[in-house]
Amino acid sequence: MTVLAPVRRQAARSSRVLPAFGMPLFWILLAAFILVPCACFLLLAVSPRLFDQGSQWFTLTYLQQSLTGATAVAITNSLWVSAAAAVVGVAFGFPVAWLAARTTMPGRHLVGGGMWLALLLPSWLPSLGWERLVQPDGVMYRAGLDWPWMTHLIMGPFGVTLLLGLRCVPFSYLAISAALGGLGQEFEDAARTHGASRTQALRLIIPILAPAIMSALAIGFAESISDFGVASTLAYNSNFSLATYQLYAAIGNFPPSFPLAAGMAWLLVAAVAIPLALQARALRGRSYEVLSGRTRQAVRRHLRPAGATVTSASTALFFGVMLGVPAFGAVSGSLLGDYGSSFTLTLANYRALFAQPDMLAPLERSGVYALIAASVTVVIGFTAARLLSAKRRTAATGTLDFLLLASVALPSVVFGAGYIFAYNLPIMSTLHIDLYQTVQLLVIAYIASSLPTNARVLSGSVSQLQPSLKDAARAHGAGEIVAWARGVLPVVSRPILMAWLYTFCGVFLELPLSQLLYAPSEPPASIAIEDNLSNYHFGVGMAQSVFAVAIAFAAVGVALGAYRLLAPAGWRRIGGTIRG
Amino acid sequence: MNRTRLLAGLAGVVTASVLAVTGCSASSSTAASSKSGPVPLVVYSAQGYDKAETQAFTKATGIPVKLDDNSTGPLLTQIEASKNNPDWGLLWVDGDTAFAGLDSAGMLLKGFEPSVSWNSLGSGVVPKDKSYVPTGVTLAGAIAYNKSKLKTPPSSWQQLTGPQFKGKVGMDDPSQSGPTFPLIAGVMNNLGGVSGGESYFSKLKSNGLVIHPTNGPTLQALTSGQINVALVQSSAAVGAISTSKQIGVEYLKPVTELPSAIGINAHAPAQVQAEAKKFASYVLSPAGQKVMQSGDPTGDSLYYPVVSGTKPLKALPPLPTSVTQTIDPYKWGTQEGTVNNWFDSHVVR
Repeated sequence: MTVLAPVRRQAARSSRVLPAFGMPLFWILLAAFILVPCACFLLLAVSPRLFDQGSQWFTLTYLQQSLTGATAVAITNSLWVSAAAAVVGVAFGFPVAWLAARTTMPGRHLVGGGMWLALLLPSWLPSLGWERLVQPDGVMYRAGLDWPWMTHLIMGPFGVTLLLGLRCVPFSYLAISAALGGLGQEFEDAARTHGASRTQALRLIIPILAPAIMSALAIGFAESISDFGVASTLAYNSNFSLATYQLYAAIGNFPPSFPLAAGMAWLLVAAVAIPLALQARALRGRSYEVLSGRTRQAVRRHLRPAGATVTSASTALFFGVMLGVPAFGAVSGSLLGDYGSSFTLTLANYRALFAQPDMLAPLERSGVYALIAASVTVVIGFTAARLLSAKRRTAATGTLDFLLLASVALPSVVFGAGYIFAYNLPIMSTLHIDLYQTVQLLVIAYIASSLPTNARVLSGSVSQLQPSLKDAARAHGAGEIVAWARGVLPVVSRPILMAWLYTFCGVFLELPLSQLLYAPSEPPASIAIEDNLSNYHFGVGMAQSVFAVAIAFAAVGVALGAYRLLAPAGWRRIGGTIRG
Repeated sequence: MNRTRLLAGLAGVVTASVLAVTGCSASSSTAASSKSGPVPLVVYSAQGYDKAETQAFTKATGIPVKLDDNSTGPLLTQIEASKNNPDWGLLWVDGDTAFAGLDSAGMLLKGFEPSVSWNSLGSGVVPKDKSYVPTGVTLAGAIAYNKSKLKTPPSSWQQLTGPQFKGKVGMDDPSQSGPTFPLIAGVMNNLGGVSGGESYFSKLKSNGLVIHPTNGPTLQALTSGQINVALVQSSAAVGAISTSKQIGVEYLKPVTELPSAIGINAHAPAQVQAEAKKFASYVLSPAGQKVMQSGDPTGDSLYYPVVSGTKPLKALPPLPTSVTQTIDPYKWGTQEGTVNNWFDSHVVR
């Protein structure tokens, strides 16, 4: 007690000092690292002269161009495909999350790992796998299956929607399983006690899960509309134009047309604003606070043998499609030493990879970047999620919501260009703030680009928090920080860990931002991989991709294992289940 | 109120640490700029041998190099986006049309020519205003074909529009692959101009032309059997032979010379420009050429040298001078944007 007293006094002093400058600084940083880069890029559409990208101080020409011809077609395609993909994501993600969290389905312990593996995979990898399967003279045809209808089906809008939808499933799973974890057994018990059937009990539960479902839909839509991996591979090779590719083409062309890309970016921001606004409106003024210290462990529904067989087989089939096809793409790309002209497997690409000098340095670098970015993002993301889920909507939360949605809508390549425009202005050099092409700006950009999705992933769980959790600790004499650490952290530790892992994995293999902002001579992993792929070492690049994904997955395994071993039993009990 | 205070506290911890990091950046760069001696030379490069070359240069001269190794597209995007405060020292990529475009925009230092002995190939691609320095030549639009599927390779560009090649010809997308615009410009040049070229590529499109983003996927499509003929850069085609014995390489008449070149930033400080000149001179020296040829032996090292005394790698077939053509980079470089836009909306889509 004597030893602890000074520590507590110091903590109390800290908790008084930090708020004095903390919140203003929080807003300043959000403005500096999200508002300014996004605004700079969006301003380009109407005032190219401001950034030396044209002669007009004010023009609507580029916005008009965005609404005509191929650009308009691409935007329209992106809108409906992304909406459909978000629905597909929830349609698959919800039942899988429920089966894994609330039933005795065999193999349920593998579901989380499978979802994380799917989340880790760059979105172009599944596209590559599907293309290799169904393309003319591809594996399907070589195996004697002459199914041109399958080629047309996959290499077209249906296939693009399916792939983006499968990409949304892990987001839905994470958002919904986190919320299911916080939904104790008492609600189902109450319904059942009053005579409700299982279906009727579900009708009670689903509205309680509304924040998570809404989050899953909004994230799915936003992630799909800003996805570049599928847009530049399967959609591109299927002559099905999506907005992100069209925007990339405007920037990648020489000379690049940043104002036209900015015009398209306006439309993307507007497109993402619709579902997020609907989400906010649907949730506004309602309470979803179900997480408390008294939350009871849910009881798993015992499945009969037939039910267990059907559910586990269906789930296995689902993962077979979601992970098996990308795995095939990666394996066929990395284990075939002759560009895939034969089916002979060889480790030549892996040998060539490990013979490259400094092969590990980019991976180590990306690991450190991802570690820092994920840790900072989770702290800011939690803060933002708490503000977003506040019952009373203020101007500040509205502004925060808009900032986050604007940056979620912008593809990373646009975000990166925005950072160049904002942080490479001559005035910055005059002020000796030379951040462009430094590790610091790259990590800040990683954080800023990860924050919107991170905050949305966390908002589902955070909105379920009851104030009584912390109030109880405060009533027993704990300071602000101690009360939060003892009252709130235990019940949100699992969602925070998930959000951290998601950001870690996303940053570890991030490419578009890295391409534009990485510090010269210090390439991260994605740049090293791209270097091999673009310099005709296709097989080596694929081997490097597989190796990097394996490392990222190992990191996930270590983090989850450490949580299981080190987190107090009570932390793991909240949101856990018992066998019924 | 309490919740707000706690959130503020959390935010404060995070933001203070981020500010500390950014502050370090600003102060360190200030400290660096106050030092005397060589300053780091920022090299933007898309060459497969650039890492080996920059390391050798630093070892030979003591000048530190910061290498931004990227595809041509992102490098040009960075240059364009940062043009009101450029930090790059030199650019080293394939395709003189891009350099001509940069030169026309006043972004390249003019009047520098290293003291070297050009061979006939080199002297033919040195620009009049000496705004960039050629470092090697490859060919845009080599024919890589699958020998197991195609016993007789095509012998003319027009043949590719015929029924025997329906759905079996592939090439790269010029908006993603730097060396592809010179291929398109070369075909257009041969057919009398843009309209003749547009007509030709429209016929190829009608005949089922398959477009992939870059050389890697196009060559993969070739070996997997999706296509039988790939129009790619010569270094990619010849390099692919070392990976797959099924690939053969031919050149149709005409095939377009594609110089790789170094351009120096016109707005860089004088010291950086001096270092960039030293770099260009080193690259063309015997020592530099040796590194260029050993840095990426199955890729970009497969170039035809532009200085006397350096021979091409043995894996390269002799330069087919009877079928090669050069195009005016200043005429075609200024049309790159419009031609690529047309190609994107009429052929890729």
